[in-house]
Amino acid sequence: MNKLRTGAFHTGMILLSLLWLGPVLWVVVMSTRSFDDIAAHGVGSLPRSFTLDTYRQAWTDGGELRALINSMLVTVPSVALSLGLAAMAAFALSRFRIPGRRTILLLMLAGNLLPPQILLIPVAKFSELTGLYDTLWALIAVQVGFGLGFYTFVLHGFMRDLPGEIQEAATIDGAGTAQIFTRVMLPLTRPALAALGALSFTWIFNDLLWAITVLRTDDNMPVTPALLALQGQFVSSWNVIAAGTVIAAVPTVAVFLRFQRHFVSGLALGAVK
Amino acid sequence: MSDFDPGRRRFLGHLGLAGLGALGASSFLSACASSASGPTTSNGSGAVTIQSNLSSPQAKAAMEKLIETFNAQGKGTASLNTIASETFRTQLPTYLTSANPPDLYTWYAGSVANDYASKNLLLDVSEVWKSLDDYPQSLRTLSTDASGKQIFVPMNNYWWGFFYRKSNFAKWGVQEPKTWTEFLALCETLKSKGIPPIGIGLGDTPWVASAWFDYLNIRINGAPFHRELLAGKQRFDDPKVKAVFTRWREALPYFDPKGKAYPFQEATTALLAGKTGMFLIGTFFADAAPKDALGDLDFFRFPIIDPAVPLAEEAPTDGFFASAKTANPTGTKALLSYLAGVEAQEAYVKASSGIVLPANPRAKASDSPLVVKGKAMLNEAKELTQFFNRDSSDALQPTADTALTKFIDKPDQIDAILREWQAGAEKVFKG
Repeated sequence: MNKLRTGAFHTGMILLSLLWLGPVLWVVVMSTRSFDDIAAHGVGSLPRSFTLDTYRQAWTDGGELRALINSMLVTVPSVALSLGLAAMAAFALSRFRIPGRRTILLLMLAGNLLPPQILLIPVAKFSELTGLYDTLWALIAVQVGFGLGFYTFVLHGFMRDLPGEIQEAATIDGAGTAQIFTRVMLPLTRPALAALGALSFTWIFNDLLWAITVLRTDDNMPVTPALLALQGQFVSSWNVIAAGTVIAAVPTVAVFLRFQRHFVSGLALGAVK
Repeated sequence: MSDFDPGRRRFLGHLGLAGLGALGASSFLSACASSASGPTTSNGSGAVTIQSNLSSPQAKAAMEKLIETFNAQGKGTASLNTIASETFRTQLPTYLTSANPPDLYTWYAGSVANDYASKNLLLDVSEVWKSLDDYPQSLRTLSTDASGKQIFVPMNNYWWGFFYRKSNFAKWGVQEPKTWTEFLALCETLKSKGIPPIGIGLGDTPWVASAWFDYLNIRINGAPFHRELLAGKQRFDDPKVKAVFTRWREALPYFDPKGKAYPFQEATTALLAGKTGMFLIGTFFADAAPKDALGDLDFFRFPIIDPAVPLAEEAPTDGFFASAKTANPTGTKALLSYLAGVEAQEAYVKASSGIVLPANPRAKASDSPLVVKGKAMLNEAKELTQFFNRDSSDALQPTADTALTKFIDKPDQIDAILREWQAGAEKVFKG
């Protein structure tokens, strides 16, 4: 009976993971087919050709190298800056009796409840007024601005639960506020920062909406709009797009594998108070 | 942004930076702000920027080549910016209304361009047209806005028709129909052989159905009525419009039932594989065909329904317009003149694999039998229309998509569908 249950469990799980992996496998297979094969037999048929030229096309003709560099130029500073600022804000809001701190926190969180679509035009116009339109700085500023509320909220919850005695001990030892923050709070918040870092990396890296809102030069586009640009006006080479997608997925997969542990803890972050 | 001035800009710039600086990164961001203003100011005297939606690999390569040649000629410099066509479509109004817009844009002729012209967003290019006196009058009219000045320079156009594989028609022993009766007879023959006669692809690309509406309307009611209808001067619940759907219903049983599920690119695959008989589509579909199938493709014109109605065909025209706010109007016009010239147009036709006809009457089109036939068909037409969205607006297109897909699903409810369509259209025209 027990054996039967284990067997059923494994079969079920294998089927479930196949269901999950199916689309991914499909994309990988499609990326190795030739255009004529897809055009003649459809995107859903079994492969009748094998080529790796699609990867070359996506890389050189599609300009993925430039796009990946742009993505990194945006993602890395955005993650660092937004987490740095959020940690400072969370530290101040959770450890000091700032008047109206609850309101400030709720206000920051409330910003996240707005659907980003209604802010597209204001953001585009504002980035123009500041002279940042069509630069990567604009994208960094937007990503930092929109991430800040949520990161602060999560880090606030985490820091609030750290024992106050540690801070008091540090104060008695003569540490100033800045020292307490950098030498006591930040090391203690590391698990939360790592989890948020991994999450925000994927979010920012995979963002498309803000990129096309504040950028208009193809040389500045990060990888998501570059993938979109592989589509033609009417007809798309799905094999090249699939190859481009596989390439674009590499950085996020790498980050996921490196920070796998934190991803799971990150999802549970703030769940238990 | 018409009330824009440098002083206010600088003020707001500092305001924005002060705000960001308060977040604790002032030195970081002000450093980048000063570097960001570099290209903004140098743009005026320097290169003309072209914002292009021709993102398919062949068309993109063709455009790159054209710009390279232009730059080598020394009459000015231009830089090409290729944006995903879907992104381009949604962002075009933002580009045009921004304070420092790109100079030149690829887009469509006709009412979509006139719409922007009426908002004073487009550059008057009448000067360029002075050297285009051998262009046909139809293209000139299409490029002229309501106030009588030219705002558009056409690059090429293409045609729509019923495409089929010659080998399949030979195998099935059928011929091109000329009239609606012959067309229905052909459908019946194909159906009796077990082949869905009419292919269509409406999943993700519901606008393909508009070709049927356009063609039936210009065959039954004529092009002038069609234009008036799309301009809001006639009603969609008019009995004349209902007559269009009565005809359509005769052909509806012959549509490929799978066509509602997949996009037109897959409908192309189905046509090429002989799973459907024919497909009413524009020539751009040939980009989705494997190279070895291209020689086997042929088409016939949408069958004649009422011989008394002057012959009209759909010929969407693509080209360029420029921003009224361009800092370099001379350079922009020089580039437009180059793009309208014989040399550039022939080079584009050759480099892009698409089956297109150059707008310049002296430029030679490709001499494949398909292109020769398409050109002859357009020349024979008394009137040219473009396509539903191009003759009306991108805002009206969704109302057509809803109405037409509903009709294909539930043809019995046509009266209600047309009433809803009229209501939807009124909202668009008022808005």
